[in-house]
Amino acid sequence: MRRGLGIAVLTAIALAVTACGSSGSSGSKTTGGSGSGGGGGSSSASVSGAKTLQASALDNPPKGTITYCTGKDTTGDAAYTVAQFNAKYGAQGYHANLVQFPASADQQRAQFIQRQQAKSSSCDVFSSDVIWTAEFSSQHWLYDLTPYVSANASKFIAAPLDTVHYGGKYWGIPQTSDAAFIYYKTGEAVPSTWQQVYSAAKNSGGIVYQGAPYEGLTCNFLELAFAAGGQVLSADGKKSAINSPQNLAALQLMVSGIKGGSAPQAVTTYMEPESDQAFDTGKYGYLRNWTYAYAVHNTTGALKGKIHAAPLPTFAGAGKASILGGHNSVISVYSQDPGLALKFADFFASPAMQKAAILKFSLAAIIPSVYKDPDVLKAVPYAPQLLQALDQAKARPVSPVYPQISQAIYTNVNNALAGRESPQAALKAADSQINSALSTF
Amino acid sequence: MATVANQVGAPAPTRQRSKGLSEKALARLMVSPSMILIALVAAWPVIYAIWLSLHQYSVRVAGLSRWVGVDNYWTSGLSNPDWRSALYHTLIFTVVSVSFEVVIGLGMALAMHRAFRGQGLLRTVVLVPWAVLTVVTAVMWRTMFVSPYGFVNTILGTHTVWLGQTPYALIIVILADVWKTSPFIALLLLAGLQVIPDDIYEAAKVDGATTWQQFVRITLPLLKPAILVALIFRTLDALRIFDLPYVLTQGTVGTSTLSTISQQTFATNRLYGEGSAQAILAFIIVMMVSFAYIRFIGGNIRGMTAE
Repeated sequence: MRRGLGIAVLTAIALAVTACGSSGSSGSKTTGGSGSGGGGGSSSASVSGAKTLQASALDNPPKGTITYCTGKDTTGDAAYTVAQFNAKYGAQGYHANLVQFPASADQQRAQFIQRQQAKSSSCDVFSSDVIWTAEFSSQHWLYDLTPYVSANASKFIAAPLDTVHYGGKYWGIPQTSDAAFIYYKTGEAVPSTWQQVYSAAKNSGGIVYQGAPYEGLTCNFLELAFAAGGQVLSADGKKSAINSPQNLAALQLMVSGIKGGSAPQAVTTYMEPESDQAFDTGKYGYLRNWTYAYAVHNTTGALKGKIHAAPLPTFAGAGKASILGGHNSVISVYSQDPGLALKFADFFASPAMQKAAILKFSLAAIIPSVYKDPDVLKAVPYAPQLLQALDQAKARPVSPVYPQISQAIYTNVNNALAGRESPQAALKAADSQINSALSTF
Repeated sequence: MATVANQVGAPAPTRQRSKGLSEKALARLMVSPSMILIALVAAWPVIYAIWLSLHQYSVRVAGLSRWVGVDNYWTSGLSNPDWRSALYHTLIFTVVSVSFEVVIGLGMALAMHRAFRGQGLLRTVVLVPWAVLTVVTAVMWRTMFVSPYGFVNTILGTHTVWLGQTPYALIIVILADVWKTSPFIALLLLAGLQVIPDDIYEAAKVDGATTWQQFVRITLPLLKPAILVALIFRTLDALRIFDLPYVLTQGTVGTSTLSTISQQTFATNRLYGEGSAQAILAFIIVMMVSFAYIRFIGGNIRGMTAE
């Protein structure tokens, strides 16, 4: 009898213990038709049945308050924009609230997904990372904003606008952008090809970048791969195209860079903070990082005033590319006042707010005219390079299974960088993992 | 889980015999609130997870799902090389870390048990790692081993990339866990030491037993129940390890565990069916280990305490 009791108690403990792992999921999942899912990939790039928001909705929306959800407002841009919106439209009865999610992108995504699964109206506008568009829109969580975007398309820089485009429709309005630079210390050669970066780095202490197995490495690799002429997916998006001679050339340059001493072996464990700290020691001549790093290294730290930024160089014999970062304003289909939400998203993309974003908060604006503004040129000396970087930028693969695709890339590229796999074997493994990701139900 | 489910299914209390409730029915009635509570917080999430694990939920088409039976258990679990290596890492982590923790914890407990000046201070100091949050522990160890400017490399004069190489990364996860959790075992064993009566040792001394004989013949046997309880706690905990590998290496470079892989599948890749199947497999493994402990060691504990 006592044994039976003991087993029951342990069972209960084990139940409680493992339940923690899965109970977080219990958002309401609607169980749709349990058909065979026939055809698999045939619907890979079309979203049908989504709600469309007309451009005119922002003209005279019902009075009220909308909530803007965003990741932790580390720069202060979100709070500033919300305050400006309330100052301008408060008297007309239009208000916006700011809700901050955690700093980590994964956490922001999880927070938003939880709300959408629960059909909650608690986020009217969400600051969505450029890589989430396909996933969110194919789950019918976003308003189709095609009418608004089509009418205003010419105002935006092309590359950020591409990141809200999926399945022939536009699902958001660009908010801020981002692209990487090669930073170098005064006195180092200005790089014009990636090959030169690596050979110059060898004699100047090395280049540091983000080589840990995470999303950042996907960006670091694709910058070289896209410049070399490589692709991740075939043109129709149905098959992997990662195992190509172009991608191999890019990966081999990175791998031989580590083997030959142009980059420290430790980059295989670096994310942004570690690469910044390493560069700040002054031992390394070059750093690849996002826009924010200019302000970090040039206003504080040991290398203050001795840092220069260059747009990412060309791959010898091929072209150049940047990978686009940044965020878009997307509007939840569960919003009670989508018109007002659109008004807020439109305000965020307005020239005044975009000028403030780059001037006050070092964020990359998404409208070209800002980069020619005399105030901006005076305060942000790298503005022309930034616009150039955005113009040459390419978007990461747009797919509802992007997390799996990226995982296949960063895991195998990291294996190659750390010498656990040959570059050939790494791309072959990534190829089969991406193909199996694409066949996900 | 069947046990709980059955009990849950039978709270129907009012089977009246003649007048009033029979003793049995009354007992059921009074137990039912706690049973319902257990059902809600423990059984329901597990049953729901099992339900999820038998389906696949489309990441492409909103609201589309299909019944796949036990396919997920095979394709994402037992036959999946990533899951198998996660299982392998988890087992290595569990066996190695728990062994070290028990030995070190026993040493700490013996040291703390001795009466000497500064005993209170020692007990406090020993407990500090246990009081540190696991995530903070992980960040601390990451900082120590970050290459090349982490202080471990500075002291050793090396340039080793500790967190980027296959055996080292797992070793550091294990070291961090041993550092953090040995005090917990020490605490459990100290409690066990304090209930061993002093007169047994005195009698042994009178009979001329050496310190080593006292330890092997008296301390260890009488401490066995406490050691076994500590073992059960730590083993079940270690099998579910998530936070240390997640923060130290994001579960990469040979540190993936049953928990990190199901979190990755479920939360990052949003494959609810496959992720749930991996979580249920982890649950089954934890259950099997629990039963093994009850069966082979649990009887032992009762035998001990009964004496």
